[in-house]
Amino acid sequence: MVRLHLMNNIFKNILIGMAAIRANLTRVILTSLGLTIGIFTVSIVTAGVSSIDREFDKSMEYYGNDKVYVGTWPWSFDFDWWKYRNRPKVKENSLDFISQYSEYITAASIKKNTWTRASFGNKSSWLQLNGVYPEYQDMLSGTKVVNGRFFSQNEWDLQRRVIIVGGTVRDGFFDGKDPIGKKIRLNNVTFEIIGELKKQGMGMVPGGTLDNLVIMPSTTFKRILTRWGFDELVLQTNPEDMAKAKEEVAMIMRVARKIKPGQDDNFSVNSADAYQEQFDSLKIIIAGMGFLVTGISLVVSAIGIMNVMFVSVRERTKEIGLRKAMGATNNNILVQFLSEAVAISIIGGSTGILLVKLITLALANTLPVEFDLVLIFYTFMVCVFIGVTAGMIPARTAAKLNPIDALRHE
Amino acid sequence: MAKPKKEVISIQNISKIYNLGDTVVKALDDVSLSIYENDFISITGPSGSGKSTLMNIIGCLDVPSLGVYKFNNELISKMNDSQLANIRNEKIGFVFQTFNLLPKLTSLQNVEVPLIYSSLGKTKRLERSKEALNIVGLSDRMTHKPNELSGGQRQRVAIARALVNKPSIILADEPTGNLDSKSGTEILKFFDELHKAGNTLIIVTHEESVAKRAKRRVKIFDGKIASDE
Repeated sequence: MVRLHLMNNIFKNILIGMAAIRANLTRVILTSLGLTIGIFTVSIVTAGVSSIDREFDKSMEYYGNDKVYVGTWPWSFDFDWWKYRNRPKVKENSLDFISQYSEYITAASIKKNTWTRASFGNKSSWLQLNGVYPEYQDMLSGTKVVNGRFFSQNEWDLQRRVIIVGGTVRDGFFDGKDPIGKKIRLNNVTFEIIGELKKQGMGMVPGGTLDNLVIMPSTTFKRILTRWGFDELVLQTNPEDMAKAKEEVAMIMRVARKIKPGQDDNFSVNSADAYQEQFDSLKIIIAGMGFLVTGISLVVSAIGIMNVMFVSVRERTKEIGLRKAMGATNNNILVQFLSEAVAISIIGGSTGILLVKLITLALANTLPVEFDLVLIFYTFMVCVFIGVTAGMIPARTAAKLNPIDALRHE
Repeated sequence: MAKPKKEVISIQNISKIYNLGDTVVKALDDVSLSIYENDFISITGPSGSGKSTLMNIIGCLDVPSLGVYKFNNELISKMNDSQLANIRNEKIGFVFQTFNLLPKLTSLQNVEVPLIYSSLGKTKRLERSKEALNIVGLSDRMTHKPNELSGGQRQRVAIARALVNKPSIILADEPTGNLDSKSGTEILKFFDELHKAGNTLIIVTHEESVAKRAKRRVKIFDGKIASDE
C-alpha cells in the first residue's frame, strides 16, 4: 500500500515534468536533436556491422572454410602489386604433385576463371565462368546442384559443351522457368544447361555470389574460351587442418616449381581467412568511427540537456518555491525535473530510432541492413541513462532551493 | 465560561539569527506567541521589523535558530525538510501578495496543486478543488487561466487553493497589496466570512485598514513583539 502510494506520487511528479515538456516543445526538440544524431549513428553502425557480419558469413561460404586456393595473386595485399605481377601462371600439372605428396589435401581441381557474354534469344548478360574437374562437384561450397546434374568424367574427357548455371540464369533468361535442357550461347558458342545451383542472394565479397556463375568442364573451357582469365588450384582439406594444409601445399609448390631455399614464393596459397582478416579490420574501423561519433554526440547532447535543464530550473524558480510552499518535498521536485530531462532524452532517442527505421525500410531492397527490437530497448536504456545523468545536477539544484528565496525570485 | 480554545500555534522564546560574516542580525529576538483556533490575527510592522521572518517560521518555510515552535502540539523546530513539507501541505494554506498562480494551469488545476502532493486520488482531488472554487464563488471560472481573470478573481483562486486541503491555519501575506481598493475590500470581506466559518486566519500586512479588521492585532518592531491586543 505504501509502495503503491509512492509509485503514484512519483507518477504525479512525472506528469508535472511532462507538462513542462509540452510547454516548451520547440526548445525540447532542438535540445534533443543531439541525441537523435547520436542514437541514429549508433543504431546505423550497430545494425550495419551486424548485417555486414551476416552477409559476410554468407559470402564466406562461397570460398568455404575447408578450401585452399593456389593462385598467382594473394587475396589480400598492400600496395605492393608489382611483386606479384611477373609471377608465372598456375599450371594444372602442379595438381599432380599435390595429389601425389600431400597428406592433408583430400580433393583437388583446377578452376579456370573468366567472364563472358551469355545470350539466349535476344537477352544477354555477363556471367562468370569456371572451368573445373568432375571432382569439383563434391567441392562446391555454400551451394549445391539443386536441379539437374553435374557433368560427368565422360563429358569432361570429351570436352562436351555442357554447363551448370547459377540462380540468375533462370530468372534472367527463362522468366523463372526450368532451364534444364535449354541452350544458351556463351562467347557465341552454344551450351546445354544440364544443372542448376541453389540461389544465393547478394554477398559482400567481390564475386562472392554463385548466382552469376556458369560451371563447365575445364577441358571445354580451355578449348573454347582462350581469352583472358586466370587459373587457380582449388584444394579440399578438413577445416581443422587448414593451417597445416596451407603450409604443406606451399612446400609442395616450392618443390614443384624448383624454388631454391631463401627465394620468395612465386605463388600464393590463399584461403577464406585472408578475407576474414581484411573484413575484421574493416569492421573495426566502421565500428570505431561510428562509436567515436556517437560518443561525442552523446556527451555533447548530455551537456545540452543539462544546460536546458538549468535554464528550466531558473525560469521556474518561483514555481518551485510555490510548489514547496504547497507541500512539495525535495524529492517531488527532483522527480519532476529528472523526468523532464529523461523525456527530452527519450524524445531525441526515439526520433533517432524512427529515422533509422525509415532508412532501413527505404533501403531494405538495396542495402543489407537489419534492425531489431533489442536495439530499440538498448537505445531506450541509453536515453534514460543520459537523461538521468544530465538532469541530476539541475534537478538537485531545483530540489535544494530554499522555498523562501525561490518564492521571492522574479 | 466558554471552553478554552484549542491552541494551534505555540511559539516560545523564538529567535532567528542571521550570521552575515562580521555582523550578526537578530531578525527575531525572543518572541513568544500563541495562536488559538478560530483566531483572526493581523501581524503588522515596518519593513525589516521581522514580520516576514515570523511569517516564514509560522508557515514552516523556515525554522527558528532558537526556541520552541509547536504546531498542533507537534514540535516543528526539529523537523526535517520533508516533514516540514508535509505540515505545509496538510496544515497551512498560503495566500500571497502576488497570488503566485501557475500561469499555464487553469483555475481548477491551480487549486489542485496542494492536493497533488497529498495522497488523494484523482477523482477526490477534482471534487475537493471544485468544492473550494465554489466556496470562493468561482465555479464558473474553473477552466480559465490566471491571465483571463481579474486581480480579485486571481486572489480568490489563490484563497481556494489555500482552503483546498482544509488547513488548520490560513496564512496571508499582504493579500490585498496587489489589488485595487474595491477588490481588496471584497477579499477582506471574504476573510471575515472565512473567520465566521471557523477558520484560523493570520494576515501579515502593513496597511492599517487591513489590520483593523482582525480581531487580534500583533505589532512587531525590531524583532520583538511591541504590542498584542
